[in-house]
Amino acid sequence: MRIVASTSDLASLAQAVAGDLAQVETIVPPAADPEAFEPRPSDLARLKGASIVIRVGLGYDDWLNKLLMMHGDAAVNRGGAGYVDASVGIPLLEVKGSQLDPTARDGHAHGLANPHYWLDPANAKTITGAIAEAGIRVAPEMAEKLIANRDDFLSRLNASLARWEQLLAPHRAARLIAYHNTWPYFARRFRLDVVDVIEIKEGVAPSPARLAKLAAIMREQKIRLIVHEPFEPEEASQLLARRTGAAVVKLAPSVGSLPAANSYLALFNYNVATLAQALSAVSN
Amino acid sequence: MLEDVLAFAALPLAAAVVFTGIHTWFGLQVLRRNVVFADLALAQVSALGATVAVVAGHAVQSPAGYAYTLAFTAVGALLLTASRGLARSVRQEAFIGVLYVFATAATVLVVDRSPQGAEHVKKMLVGGILSVTGDDLLRFVVLYGIIGALHWLMRRPLLAAAGSEDARNDAGKFLGWDLVFYLSFGVVVTSSVATAGVLLVFCFLIVPALVGNLFSSHVGVALLIGWAAGALASAAGIFGSFLLDAPTGAVTVLAFAATLLIAGAIRAFITAPATQRRRNRRVGLHVGGLIICLLLGLSGAWVVIAPAGDHPLLAAIEMATGIGPDRFMTTTERADYLEATVVARRHKAEIDRLYDRERQSRWQGEALTADDIRRLGSMQQTLTEMGRGERFVVDYLRTRGRERERWYVGLPLAAFGFLGAATIARRARRGL
Repeated sequence: MRIVASTSDLASLAQAVAGDLAQVETIVPPAADPEAFEPRPSDLARLKGASIVIRVGLGYDDWLNKLLMMHGDAAVNRGGAGYVDASVGIPLLEVKGSQLDPTARDGHAHGLANPHYWLDPANAKTITGAIAEAGIRVAPEMAEKLIANRDDFLSRLNASLARWEQLLAPHRAARLIAYHNTWPYFARRFRLDVVDVIEIKEGVAPSPARLAKLAAIMREQKIRLIVHEPFEPEEASQLLARRTGAAVVKLAPSVGSLPAANSYLALFNYNVATLAQALSAVSN
Repeated sequence: MLEDVLAFAALPLAAAVVFTGIHTWFGLQVLRRNVVFADLALAQVSALGATVAVVAGHAVQSPAGYAYTLAFTAVGALLLTASRGLARSVRQEAFIGVLYVFATAATVLVVDRSPQGAEHVKKMLVGGILSVTGDDLLRFVVLYGIIGALHWLMRRPLLAAAGSEDARNDAGKFLGWDLVFYLSFGVVVTSSVATAGVLLVFCFLIVPALVGNLFSSHVGVALLIGWAAGALASAAGIFGSFLLDAPTGAVTVLAFAATLLIAGAIRAFITAPATQRRRNRRVGLHVGGLIICLLLGLSGAWVVIAPAGDHPLLAAIEMATGIGPDRFMTTTERADYLEATVVARRHKAEIDRLYDRERQSRWQGEALTADDIRRLGSMQQTLTEMGRGERFVVDYLRTRGRERERWYVGLPLAAFGFLGAATIARRARRGL
């Protein structure tokens, strides 16, 4: 069985469910920005012969629509046995859509809700469930092994989740500024307050007026930490940090975006430990 | 807040003034040499070097990154120098264009090997002048000061190589000076593109030099005028980006374009010789009037032909006069129109309230359960759909209003615009 996932996060979860039963491939390279990704002909070739295709959905990986249409295999297109939209069943945050206000400044140009739902580890239960179901539909003879793999992964995840929550518990309601609106699911799970974001339009540099406003908010609310991502331009975050005396902490928004975040569990191990350490440092 | 505004603006403005200082001088030579796009080509070759450095695992600002960039720029400078000798039968700009597209395509290919390459390419294009530091500024002042001083000492042969009759007839005689020019130009462009981006550097280079040349053919005077215009445009761009709450690089590019337009108008209508000035004013009035009348005429005609389409000019007139399509609705239609507008606004406020409630619950009080979140999401989605319904009603009734409005507003507007345009065109032809 060959599984193709649009992002490395979904690929990591698919690998956890499939184990050695399947070969799992990713379309967007680790550390690249999936929202700005442009597929290449080799990506179409990657889809050939795939039994299962897993996507983030919610407009995050819209470029996959064209690839799937060109690919033409009904089994991995919408409605097919091997098609998995991992957002189905997720309790979505920031469900605003852009229909009422086309100039909405929520950091995402399209989509029904904030698409970074894999950053709540509790959502992995729903995502792996959808992957296992697709696996069973495609290869019913593997059902037992797929379910066992998923159960094993979830037990490890639950143990880790308790540890992560414990690590960040002393920092409950800690106020942060983020560069991009990536962290609402993470913030909800670990009870953090991401007060505002620097980049309000995907790919458009913040204006100086916005930076001045954020500097005022940071001073007023005593915000000492800016969360940054590896593939985002650093200048604005560093400028704001210099102006307010805040620290910049680099977290991994997806598997492989930093070397330490080389699997789904490692992603949270790294993010939680790094954030807890940074919050302790600034509160001292 | 004001203190932050000034703090965020001070260093970028100082950097912009320093960039204007050195680039105006190079710009004057570029215009003399008639190689306007050499800057873009050289900047793109420099960007290719920086991209190769990033893919090889070096930061652009590291010594290795700078060495890569400089090496590529030196090759670009050599190619540009050689292109003048080759350009006997073909314009040199053609070679420059080929160099530009080659460097751009090569950058895209190199970027394809780097996961964060697209971000890097975007950064090279738009830059990040807002985040310039005091150390960066000092580095620019020292580097550009040295290059500026060397150019001051070598100004005569450099200017002779740029635009003398001798240089045009015997390119080989000035090959060495061409190389000096392109190499130093490459060093300046490499350094400034990394901070200000390709687009803004092009403006620093060409616009002040053009403004200077508009008012004087003497290099010294043109340089002074260019410096003043560049500094004014930089200040307008940087403070304008605060006022408009828009990205600094893009607003500054627009400010440079506006400066060129204003300088052109001053030259044509105020400082030109008296006879030419009178003629320019007459032509300006005719062209301006013709454009306004044609816009009004086309807008009016478009309302008559497609009342359901987009009408930006009419919408602006409606906003300014307060006379909108609701004036042309029946009493019932107007009531429905106003109600739908109010309800759509209420739905949006409710969506925002639900959003705030969910956001607060992330860190305050009891966390919402997954089912609570789903319920909130479902309500937000429903309200969004209902809002779309109200918007549909508003659009439909506006179209009905416009269908009547077209005979009272669209038709007279079209008649006024086209008649006005015809009158102006006839008078202009008589004047000529």
